[in-house]
Amino acid sequence: MQRQVALIKQSLFDQGYLDEQFMELEELQDDANPNFVEEVSALYFKDSARLINNIDQALERGTFDFNRLDSYMHQFKGSSTSIGASKVKAECTTFREYCRAGNAEGCLRTFQQLKKEHSTLRKKLEHYFQLARQAGPKETARRPK
Amino acid sequence: MTVEQNFEALDQFPVGMRVLAVDDDQTCLKILETLLRHCQYHVTTTNQAQKALELLRENKNKFDLVISDVDMPDMDGFKLLELVGLEMDLPVIMLSAHSDPKYVMKGVTHGACDYLLKPVRIEELKNIWQHVVRSRFDKNRGSNNGDKRDGSGNEGVGNSDQNNGRANNRKRKDQYNEDDDEEKDDNDDSSAQKKQRVVWTVELHKKFVAAVNQLGYEKAMPKKILDLMNVEKLTRENVASHLQKFRLYLKRISGVANQQAIMANSDLHFLQMSSSLNGLDGFHHRPVPVGSGQFHGGAPAMRSFPPNGILGRLNTPSGISVRNLSSPPAGMFLQNQTDLGKFHHVSSLPLNHSDGGNILQGLPLPSEFDQLQTNNNNNNIRNMNNNKSIAGSSMAFPSFSTQQNSIIGAPNNNLVVLEGHPQSSPPGFPGHQINKRLEHWSNAVSSSTLPPPPAQNSNSIHHHFDVSPLPHSKPDTLEWNNVSSSYSIPFCDSATTLSPPSLDTTNPRAFCRNTDFDSSTNAQPGGFYDTLQTRQSGNYGPTTDAMLSSNPKEGFVVGQHKLQSGGFMSAEAGSLDDIVNSTMKQEQSQGDLSGGDLGYGGFSSLRTCI
Repeated sequence: MQRQVALIKQSLFDQGYLDEQFMELEELQDDANPNFVEEVSALYFKDSARLINNIDQALERGTFDFNRLDSYMHQFKGSSTSIGASKVKAECTTFREYCRAGNAEGCLRTFQQLKKEHSTLRKKLEHYFQLARQAGPKETARRPK
Repeated sequence: MTVEQNFEALDQFPVGMRVLAVDDDQTCLKILETLLRHCQYHVTTTNQAQKALELLRENKNKFDLVISDVDMPDMDGFKLLELVGLEMDLPVIMLSAHSDPKYVMKGVTHGACDYLLKPVRIEELKNIWQHVVRSRFDKNRGSNNGDKRDGSGNEGVGNSDQNNGRANNRKRKDQYNEDDDEEKDDNDDSSAQKKQRVVWTVELHKKFVAAVNQLGYEKAMPKKILDLMNVEKLTRENVASHLQKFRLYLKRISGVANQQAIMANSDLHFLQMSSSLNGLDGFHHRPVPVGSGQFHGGAPAMRSFPPNGILGRLNTPSGISVRNLSSPPAGMFLQNQTDLGKFHHVSSLPLNHSDGGNILQGLPLPSEFDQLQTNNNNNNIRNMNNNKSIAGSSMAFPSFSTQQNSIIGAPNNNLVVLEGHPQSSPPGFPGHQINKRLEHWSNAVSSSTLPPPPAQNSNSIHHHFDVSPLPHSKPDTLEWNNVSSSYSIPFCDSATTLSPPSLDTTNPRAFCRNTDFDSSTNAQPGGFYDTLQTRQSGNYGPTTDAMLSSNPKEGFVVGQHKLQSGGFMSAEAGSLDDIVNSTMKQEQSQGDLSGGDLGYGGFSSLRTCI
């Protein structure tokens, strides 16, 4: 079980879904804060879901207020970076570039991609945390080598 | 906070250092909190800037350091930064995912002591305590090093001022290094030690400025100033250190020559600045020349200012002040004109800062002050014009500034502005208090503040400030007194408060904030400040985003802001009106605000700080 958990985590890293920042977060997890990473992830997904919604609405309006979109994305990027969601972060960066270029089409496309990455990550992390919980707290504290 | 507590905290420093973390992003905030806890700091978090201000105002001694995100919906991080620096004189670290050097620069100019990029690593956080130590160290040196400073002050001023005050700190530090050994007092000790804290009230400052003017800026030496001022219990060191600050301030605002002009006006502004200077690197000079009473009408006056940017920042106040001036001296504030008098400062105020929402840092109030000084006539002041209007406008400014950030150090400005209105509460100004404060301020400060940044553009922005219009004409300092909140803000940075030990001891942290205004009998500028602040906040809140980005007012401020060098004052005439109006509105809602947004309600809170 534990090995399974470790493997899953490793794969997340290998596939580039997560980066070192995630590891840093795990380092912060300790007895005083046993579920820190999971809590932070939950927070992140909750927040980002809201953001995604906002962006969706903004895009649907079709007015393409790039400044606003850019600032949403900046926020999104900030939290994605903090949690170590590297693929999501990359999409954010791309999106912002399109924003700056005023490329509406590019923005839309990227956003779809971003949403996809986001939900993929979410599922994977949920799965991971579930397993980790099952495996026991100690396990989760271990970092993939 | 008691001294004991402070001591305890200090004993284990940096363990237990109390940090206030502000970030609207919950994820980041949580992570930050955990990281800080891992560094063994004591962490308080909030995701709203307003709440953060409230917490800080509630008890200035409660925190050692503030870490704040840059992009926040309710208030721009830079503005918060400025406000904190001015009001509480705490070190502030900016945090952002923006690695753009422009942002970093902005952080620096607004007084941040550091700028971290997200995602933050724990290693970086492990060292942030150095900022607290450094700031305390500087403050200590500042207040105790009168003599030496004086001597080297000039050079220091000359050199350091260039860099937005940053250098000042460095310079000061250097100076301190050489000469101050005995000063060694750490903060904890200082309270125990017999440091006479001088509170540089508006009146005192006015006297100071008058003395300096009399002697001639270039020739002003502490001893002579001291003699001229003829104030008991004031030592040469006090004067020397204040002079140094003053010079720095002037330099900062004017950015170039015209110091003399500034001198006249910078009283209030200066005072404000100095306080901030201590804590923050530079004065937030935001020259907001509040003075010209015609604020309302000021818009036109503003126009006269070269929009070049410098004035922009000044926000209408300068414009206003100009108006009053019958003939604003081009380029130079009327140095000796009684009216304009002290505006010099105004001109040089670097608007850039405006972020802090500083409302009127550069407020022309100083000019008014001058007038007040000379006349001390309520009547005069009243007549002065519309100082009241200015006041009103001042209020506006604050709001204005808040929006724009351009208003230089709002807190200061606010003060300034208010003063203008001694007599009547600013139109629509809910704050009579403000007026009071203003008066108080004006009295105390006698105009220092707002020298419109002269120039960056070498526009004559300065001159406008001279407008002495500050109506506040202090005559009613009493009103001020009523305000009990201790302003404590930047007023006397070097404040060695004579006042009660409470001030001193309260916390080493309280470095010179001198909030003791209260004690000094002047109305609490603090209160004033608060009001302003609140207003600002008020404005800020609703307008923040908008303002920042698109307000015309903002434009002016912001635009000016860019000038950096000082373009404050450009107040856009048109926008001024708007601002004023909005300010008024703000005022109205002040009540609400004070409810707690800014925690303004805290006039008293300010006091507590001390």
